Amino acid sequence: MITAHEVGISFRFDRQRRVVTRSAARIRRAGPTIWGLRDLSFSLEPGEGVALLGRSGSGKTTLLRLLGGVYSPDAGTLAVRGNVACLLSTDAGLLPLLTGRENALHLSVLAGLTRAQARAALDSIKERSDLGDYFERPVSSFSQGMRARLGLAVQDERNTDILLLDEVHEALDHEFRQKLEERAHDLLAHGGIVVAAGHDHPMLRRLCTRALYLRDGRLQAEGSFDEIQRTYLDELHLEE
Amino acid sequence: MSSRSQSVAPRRRRGEDLPAEGGPTRTRRERLRSIFDLLISLSASDLRLRHGRGPWVVVRWLLEPFALVGVYLVLLVAVLDRPGTAPGLSLACAIVPFQFVMSSVTYSMTAVSLRRPIIANMAFNRTLIPLSTAFTECAGFVASFAIIILMMAIYGIAPTAALLWLPAVIAVTIVFGVSLAYPASLFGLWFWELRPLGSSLVRILFFIGPGLVPLAQTGSGTSGYLKLNPLSGLFESFRSVFAYGRAPAAWQLLIPLGFAAVLLAAFLPLYRRDQREFAKVI
Repeated sequence: MITAHEVGISFRFDRQRRVVTRSAARIRRAGPTIWGLRDLSFSLEPGEGVALLGRSGSGKTTLLRLLGGVYSPDAGTLAVRGNVACLLSTDAGLLPLLTGRENALHLSVLAGLTRAQARAALDSIKERSDLGDYFERPVSSFSQGMRARLGLAVQDERNTDILLLDEVHEALDHEFRQKLEERAHDLLAHGGIVVAAGHDHPMLRRLCTRALYLRDGRLQAEGSFDEIQRTYLDELHLEE
Repeated sequence: MSSRSQSVAPRRRRGEDLPAEGGPTRTRRERLRSIFDLLISLSASDLRLRHGRGPWVVVRWLLEPFALVGVYLVLLVAVLDRPGTAPGLSLACAIVPFQFVMSSVTYSMTAVSLRRPIIANMAFNRTLIPLSTAFTECAGFVASFAIIILMMAIYGIAPTAALLWLPAVIAVTIVFGVSLAYPASLFGLWFWELRPLGSSLVRILFFIGPGLVPLAQTGSGTSGYLKLNPLSGLFESFRSVFAYGRAPAAWQLLIPLGFAAVLLAAFLPLYRRDQREFAKVI
């Protein structure tokens, strides 16, 4: 279950327009503070697939990173119950100079497995990622789709309750996209939560029954996927 | 199942101390095991990212101190005409700990940005990043002992019972390197344009300490001040153990340890607070 109450994420800038931490803002000459997300309140129940809709820069990725624990809220409260698997970029946290195997071991430990568990899972990750000999090569030689496949295979090794997808599925080939959809549906059937952002609305519709419409970092509307998609597209056409 | 509750002032912050699995049901032993595994994993990946792989890495670790000792030996003996006793060994005893401290600081300044892909995509214990950087440099530190052994052989200095103090001397050096790694990581993030200056500051510490010339060869008035430099204690403790065959003096271990304690007390809480925002900054 995920509950957010008036959650906000802010970005502080210095005079050179670089994002800085709170401490650095005190030391350096501080510039403006911009809220990436503001006053967001919502609740996601077990078994729900939720799409994040909105234009680029509306706060979809920021919200996914917040749910994934990559960001901490600067305002409000957020409660996330369950193990979270994140695919927030096609890079999927992979370090380009390491091989697929080394990355799989590294990411598995970061995701919470012990080194022994991670080592035992390597063959299974190799098989599910379907990378073949590429598994032993540096990730810098991988295509975006191959990186996403490896990232997904690593995340799949854990018991996941919440799956976060940020346009990653759009980089996948047809076959692996199918696998991802099956994985997401299986998770939903077992009471998990899927939160997906992207511009591939047909796929989002297959995964999600609900949607949140974000605009300028605020929650503009929420409801059924079809209803929110209509609202979003109507506003988009009006603006154009 | 893990559970996470966050607010503006959370009791437990995500990405800082929250295990990805097991949550509050984890025992203390399991948490420690998880931290250890994460530390090993971060260090292993750091080792490959920074130093590459294959036998040339070891060759570099072995040869780098030789190059430095060679240059300073020429400076000391030929230019300054202050050879002293076993100057090569004396220099090696300063170069070996200095190289470790220097590389810990230099690499810590880029440690967070180097891990951008994982910081931007996953929640994990980021407090371990500077620690893992210092641990990575331990590999080169251990390899560089080869030059000390060689110099002892060249000057015919036999090992003594003082070598029993070596574990303590190494431990103090590592603790000091780790304590510098935290402020160095923050410095690298806060003042990214001043990173080269950060390295220069550590290099200055070498020259305003008994790096080139042992403390015994400096004037009594000066040596009192030089002792305040935490690197002096490290250099002299290595010389005590390897060159002079005696136990290190208390100040040689306590001054660097004192500096380390102050640095950790000041910068570790600051780092823990700032790491919540690393994903925004990198």
